Amino acid sequence: MNIIADLKKVATKSPWLYRINAGSCNGCDVELATTACIPRYDVERLGCQYCGSPRHADIVLITGPLTARVKDAVLRLWEEIPDPKVTVAVGVCPISGGIFRESYAVHAPIDRYLPVDVNVPGCPPRPQAIIEGVAKAIELWREKL
Amino acid sequence: MNFLSLLFRNLKNGPSTEAFPFGPARTPARFRGRIAFDAPSCEGCKLCERVCPANAIKFTKSADGLAFDCWHDTCVFCGNCEFYCPTKSIRQTTDWHLAHTQAEKYTMVEHGLIPNMKCVECGATALDTAPNVAKVKPAMAAEEVAELRARCPKCRAKFLKARRAKP
Amino acid sequence: MTNQLALLAAVFVFPGGLFALLFGLALKGADRRVAARLQGRVGPPLAQPFFDLVKLGFKRTMVPATSAGQTLFLGAPLVGVVAMLVAAALVPIAGVYAPQPILGNLLVLLYLLMVPGVVLMVAGSASGSPYGSIGFSREMALMLAYEGPLVLVVAAVALRTGWGMGGTVTFSLSEIVEYQRTHGAFLLDPVMWPAVAAFVFFYPANLGIVPFDIPEAETEVLEGPLLEYSGPALGLFKVMSALKAVVVLGLGLALFFPVAPNGIFGLVFWLVEMLVLMILGVTVVRVSVGRMRIDQAFAFFLKWPLLFAAASLAVVAVVG
Repeated sequence: MNIIADLKKVATKSPWLYRINAGSCNGCDVELATTACIPRYDVERLGCQYCGSPRHADIVLITGPLTARVKDAVLRLWEEIPDPKVTVAVGVCPISGGIFRESYAVHAPIDRYLPVDVNVPGCPPRPQAIIEGVAKAIELWREKL
Repeated sequence: MNFLSLLFRNLKNGPSTEAFPFGPARTPARFRGRIAFDAPSCEGCKLCERVCPANAIKFTKSADGLAFDCWHDTCVFCGNCEFYCPTKSIRQTTDWHLAHTQAEKYTMVEHGLIPNMKCVECGATALDTAPNVAKVKPAMAAEEVAELRARCPKCRAKFLKARRAKP
Repeated sequence: MTNQLALLAAVFVFPGGLFALLFGLALKGADRRVAARLQGRVGPPLAQPFFDLVKLGFKRTMVPATSAGQTLFLGAPLVGVVAMLVAAALVPIAGVYAPQPILGNLLVLLYLLMVPGVVLMVAGSASGSPYGSIGFSREMALMLAYEGPLVLVVAAVALRTGWGMGGTVTFSLSEIVEYQRTHGAFLLDPVMWPAVAAFVFFYPANLGIVPFDIPEAETEVLEGPLLEYSGPALGLFKVMSALKAVVVLGLGLALFFPVAPNGIFGLVFWLVEMLVLMILGVTVVRVSVGRMRIDQAFAFFLKWPLLFAAASLAVVAVVG
């Protein structure tokens, strides 16, 4: 039992990130790309790695206000991610709708459809705030595993 | 072979990564972060509620007075409220530590209350808002402002009229 | 009986199996770390590939509804891992380990080296995903392109060794290593330089790294054949690629530079050689160039590496 607990502790050092763009304006996506690609922030230090496939993901970063157009695609994609997973809403759009709140074309907040675990508000949030959110998500993930 | 020299330079200079999250992060002095509201200096004009593009700011009237709420989960940190605030009682701090768990979602609120008071002159119930005295001439002293503040809007107008009538 | 035990040990403990896996993961970790440093970042800890592997063990395995059956889908990575385990036991370590002839020779190793590519192709097409199919066709095109030069290079080495030893050709890896240990490494032999040059191009293509990671390009085809894999099955692919790194780098050392002292120092020397080879041959290449298109890569392999490989065979044949 102890060995499994130790192994789980080791496992949480490798959170792979997957991002879903739920109709975002790309501001948050640019910040996510910045977090990953710019040496100054270097999210790989935490063992994070952006993966291309939802099947490889552990932590899902969702940006955008869940527009009516992408709603079904986003929900389907989210289902494709194997458990245990942690969902992080990046930017104010998925959290509450932000500036698009109450629009007829937008289904925000996203937690009406998916269980969101961590919220990172900002329009867009700065890379450090995203890293902070990911760190919070890793803690939650450790409990879920 | 330009890239090789670049690689060599990177190796020589070492990583340029910030210490965050294991250490402090650099924050620009004019960073537009969490909203801070100072209720005693607010004059209750609700201009911030009007200019807020995301409807993050809401004033609600209650038995206790006028409540100010700014929900950070819908605020877009544009700075309109700070720009338009006549008394600078709403401003943006450089605090960006806003990431929170889902349980805290509806507590990410900057709350302030402008309490009710009794007017010292007529005894009517009025809001204890700060009077905007920036354009009053001659400039008012602190005691005079406090005196003005203790009155309801109608009595304030009377007070100022009487002051202007004075030689 | 002891012979069989020794064979099993060679496949599962040293130099195949456990040793190769741990060393392969360490090589991958070093690669990621050094790549990060070259890009001016701090990078992940050295044991990151190991963490990844443990993590994948805890995840759920999903078999897509569109797949060509669970057996094929989940069996493909298993076949790849087994092939690489045997291949790792086939690679000699100069002065430390010589594979037993019963395991096979250079030709067997060549076939085993093709298995990961074939496995990726099977995995890609069995997943039923269109991205997997794209990965399948790209992997096939790439394999067709790089296997030719590789065979010519191996033939050149075998010919040179065989003639040098007074016979015809020899495909025994231990004999090739022994010949070079007595007559000098092929790396220092001008006759073999075209072969070395051709082999250098083979590394990134077989290990699937930039500029030849076209089948698995995650920004284009979302990791292609691996798209639908999750959890332990994906972990098996990671194991396979870690083992493959050791096999391919070890093959390069055995073919061209098997110079090392005997005993434990030989092993340390070999480990260091492998690390240097990984960083110079893989990491530096990886961070300094961009990905090619599949048609560019195909044309490239049919031009320079094939030219070098053919030249090496011709030179060896002429010089004798």
